[in-house]
Amino acid sequence: MIYRIRHTTHFIYDKPAYESHNEVRVAPRTSPNQRCLSFDLEVTPKAAVLAYDDSFKNRVHAISVHPPHDELTIVATSVVERLAPRPSTPLRVPFGEFLAEDAARSAEHFEFLHPSKFVPFSERLRKFFWSARPAPTETVVEYTMRIVRYVRDQFEYEKDKTHVHSGVDDILSAGGGVCQDFAHLTIGLLRLAGVPARYVSGYLAPRAGVASDYADQASHAWIEVLLPGTGWTGFDPTLRSRTTDHHIRIAIGRDYSDVPPLRGVYRSAGSNGEMQVELSIQREGEPEPEVLRAQMQNQSQQ
Amino acid sequence: MLRRIADSLFWAARYLERAEWRARLVSVNHNLLIEGPAPVGNPWSSMLAISGDQELFEEHYETVDETSVLTFFVLDERNPSSIRSCIDAARANARSLRHRISSELWLELNTLHLDAKQWSAARLGTSEVFDFFQQLQERFYRIAGVINGTLPRGLGFDFLGLGILLERAENVTRLLDIKYHYLLPKVEDVGGPIDLLQWAAVLRSASALEAYRLKYGNLIRTESVVEMLLFDPDFPRSARYCVDRLETALRRVAQAAPEPAAAPTKLASDGLAGLLASRNASEVIAGGLHDFLIDVQEECERISSAVFDQYLRFE
Amino acid sequence: MNAQAVSNPVPISDAYRIASGLFDEMFDLERRPRPGCARVVADLLVREPDRLAELRTRADGMFLRMGVTFNVYGMEEGSEKIFPFDPIPRVIDAATWANLEAGLTQRVRALNAFIQDVYGAGEILKDGVVPRDLVLGCPQYLRAAVGLTPPHGTFVTVAGIDLVRGADGRFYVLEDNVRTPSGVSYVIQNRVVMTRLLPDLVRASGVRSVENYPADLLESLCELAPGGKSRPKVALLTPGIYNSAFFEHVFLSHQMGIDLVEGHDLVCVDHKVFMKTVHGLQQVDVLYRRIDDDFLDPVVFRPDSLLGVAGITAAIRAGNVSVANGFGTGIADDKAIFAYTPAIVRYYLNEEPLLPIVETHILSDPDVRRMVLRDLDRYVVKPTNASGGYGVIIGPKATYRELIEAREAIEREPNHFIAQPVVQLSVHPTLLGDTNGAGPFAPRHVDLRPFVLLGKKTRVLPGGLTRVALREGSLIVNSSQGGGSKDTWVLER
Repeated sequence: MIYRIRHTTHFIYDKPAYESHNEVRVAPRTSPNQRCLSFDLEVTPKAAVLAYDDSFKNRVHAISVHPPHDELTIVATSVVERLAPRPSTPLRVPFGEFLAEDAARSAEHFEFLHPSKFVPFSERLRKFFWSARPAPTETVVEYTMRIVRYVRDQFEYEKDKTHVHSGVDDILSAGGGVCQDFAHLTIGLLRLAGVPARYVSGYLAPRAGVASDYADQASHAWIEVLLPGTGWTGFDPTLRSRTTDHHIRIAIGRDYSDVPPLRGVYRSAGSNGEMQVELSIQREGEPEPEVLRAQMQNQSQQ
Repeated sequence: MLRRIADSLFWAARYLERAEWRARLVSVNHNLLIEGPAPVGNPWSSMLAISGDQELFEEHYETVDETSVLTFFVLDERNPSSIRSCIDAARANARSLRHRISSELWLELNTLHLDAKQWSAARLGTSEVFDFFQQLQERFYRIAGVINGTLPRGLGFDFLGLGILLERAENVTRLLDIKYHYLLPKVEDVGGPIDLLQWAAVLRSASALEAYRLKYGNLIRTESVVEMLLFDPDFPRSARYCVDRLETALRRVAQAAPEPAAAPTKLASDGLAGLLASRNASEVIAGGLHDFLIDVQEECERISSAVFDQYLRFE
Repeated sequence: MNAQAVSNPVPISDAYRIASGLFDEMFDLERRPRPGCARVVADLLVREPDRLAELRTRADGMFLRMGVTFNVYGMEEGSEKIFPFDPIPRVIDAATWANLEAGLTQRVRALNAFIQDVYGAGEILKDGVVPRDLVLGCPQYLRAAVGLTPPHGTFVTVAGIDLVRGADGRFYVLEDNVRTPSGVSYVIQNRVVMTRLLPDLVRASGVRSVENYPADLLESLCELAPGGKSRPKVALLTPGIYNSAFFEHVFLSHQMGIDLVEGHDLVCVDHKVFMKTVHGLQQVDVLYRRIDDDFLDPVVFRPDSLLGVAGITAAIRAGNVSVANGFGTGIADDKAIFAYTPAIVRYYLNEEPLLPIVETHILSDPDVRRMVLRDLDRYVVKPTNASGGYGVIIGPKATYRELIEAREAIEREPNHFIAQPVVQLSVHPTLLGDTNGAGPFAPRHVDLRPFVLLGKKTRVLPGGLTRVALREGSLIVNSSQGGGSKDTWVLER
């Protein structure tokens, strides 16, 4: 399946911004089931753009705009070919056996087995894990599927209970959250059980004729789990399922803090900037769908 | 030279010079009150009006009298233009420059700042206030001597100079305005004994009385005083002297640029030089001294903005 | 003072106590001066010991006038102090120094190779010589440094290696400092003062000069210029006047003739770094930065940092500016990684380490932890993510309560601590503040921080900073905690 994606980030400042420096992660990754056929980044006003790969091999664009400007628009256009995930048959390894090799795995996949900024192994998380922990006879893949569903069964999809800098404790105390929170919490429960898990940011292409329930956010987030025998396998805790050919991967990391779509600072005499995000995903051969819009306030950082 | 460094030098100098002129203005007012007969109206109100700080004063004080106005002008840290506040500001600007100025200069500024912290209202009582201002003036002379004696003549010295000269040109006009506009509203007193006494006090507070007598003799005439404080090219506290030096400093700064080009600052200093060259003392008095003084102040402000835009603006 | 040829070394008087079990830098057990020390002993300690106090007073005056001060953290503005100076110099003979110099060069080259590797191919991790999890879990491991290779692969331009001398007379590495090591200005100023105080003795002793350091540092910095630019613009980036080492930043920038800049003096335009000068923007090619990684770029690190320069990381990536030391060097002076440094030397250089390290125990290993906790009062416990001597527990000197707290902290977060046996630092005759009738000087503990400059040439500043614990029995030599310093003399012959 081929998608044409147009992701627009638009800033409007109350007073001119200047010395604006941002890093964006908006270029789809190329991976076994996904190929990025073309990518283009357009910035208005004219900006210096530097592309590089970060430590997780995500493509990053550093954008620098020096002169004063009232608005800043970043348009990322990509064409992505997404193959349906190959059916996989993970080895059915029970935890009792799995954990025997924990030390080796811990050295090899340290960053995806240990606490990270938004997934600290807090007291609250440990308690939650205790109630859901795997039995020695449960297989790793069974546990993973159970947890992916369990998290979503326990928590409502609620937009305003958490924010973009929320960690696992926030969703646990708020009782609800968004895809980012479900991903963090699921990752926490997997890592505590000794299963390497990582965060994926990307887009969820709407199904033809079906309005998505989660259309209020331009970006989507899910996870990948290192299952015995099959390697990194995608799961979407928000949808309680495996990932599909509608999941378009952009970046991977330990948690959200490694992969924010946009991070940066600017100077301004004003105090407020408004950010609007527009996303349009068009399947090849189908008419252009309605554009998803999200709005955010963001604070001048300097 | 970094903008931050130039900016701190410029403002350290301005605040220092401002502190000195505040002392001069307050002490001339004080001297006139003691030496002359009581002027019409409240002389301290005139002082407040001319300083432009009337509103701020009224926020914090009930009555306008000698004690309250002296306290406000000398000690009050809520007044950003009080002598103490100016010294603090000068020292704060110099602190980040410790490695760029001489240790002697830092020592003088820091000691003055520490002393200013200790000043109390008792020092401003009638019996002590004369000594207080006298000693303060000596401190300022010493600092000027240290600046001249220890700092190399480079860009840093020029930015320091720009701050001093702009502040000085502005303040000498304020001093004249105090006398001319506020202290003597009655036309029939012009040229009378009170008038002469007051002009002598103005000259003294600009440290110009002796220089005046050397040049013009014993007779104090309004025209000659104005000539001396505005148009004299040799007296170091005249407006003309300041603008001559400003032009030199601005030229040196502009020439230090990697690609020297006509600087907007030159246009601004040409404006002040032109204004001063276009008139003489008698014309200015005939045409209204107060208005001319305001014109000079505005030209100074124009130069200051040009310097800021060209060399100091940070963002 | 007249320096005479010393043919017959005089033993020191009985008033000076030679402690058993400690290495005295100046005297052997027969109370005779060690190699190279005879002249200093004869001229300074034997002939006119009463002159020492006067020398110190004169030295203090010189330091004050030169403005050689440091700021103490946690105190009000204006709390600048002079670093107490001891006028009895520490002498290192030529042969001893030659060994040290070779060991230091070897060590810093290996640490640099390690940094280059962990942010690059990661061979040492694949080979399991240093545990992968130890590196990736280390707070000093900077993901943003991955792929940021500086010109010539020089991550560590300046290193300060803390050495102690054991009872056996050997030097041991106690700690590496490869982020923003400070103290070199004291080395140079101490020499200026000593040369004025004792010109004849300095000359007659044949002391190797330290005055070339700023020129050498500048040369090493210029080598880092992007694209090998021939006359690069170099500036020193300081956190500002409230930093404890601000004097050193002023001193070094003056000595090198480069601008001393703060973060807001700089701006990034189109992935290049510029200084804001009165005559417009001027491009900077190399920054000798004395600001920690975390504060350098609010885009990538702490967004609240006002000390750094927004966008500088991208400018480095674009190859338009270099910073020294490079990003992420802290991984090599982490206290837990320290235990692996001998293996690191062997791995990259295929040589045996010439400088041994102080025995270091990693407490995340349960067996090691059990062993250490059993005799906690015999160890020095150090947190792995702090510097400056804060939070260090010295077992034999700790109170019962402190030991209990340390034990709890270790059990809670074993990864955050290492333990080392208490090293008996060597002692050196040091002028006393209050003589108490014991004679004017007595042995006090000292360490040594030599400075190494890495570049096309590797240079070791002859000597380094000798810090001395002025309180009797104290082992803490940090300037912030009651230490002083001595001039360090490396002899030409």
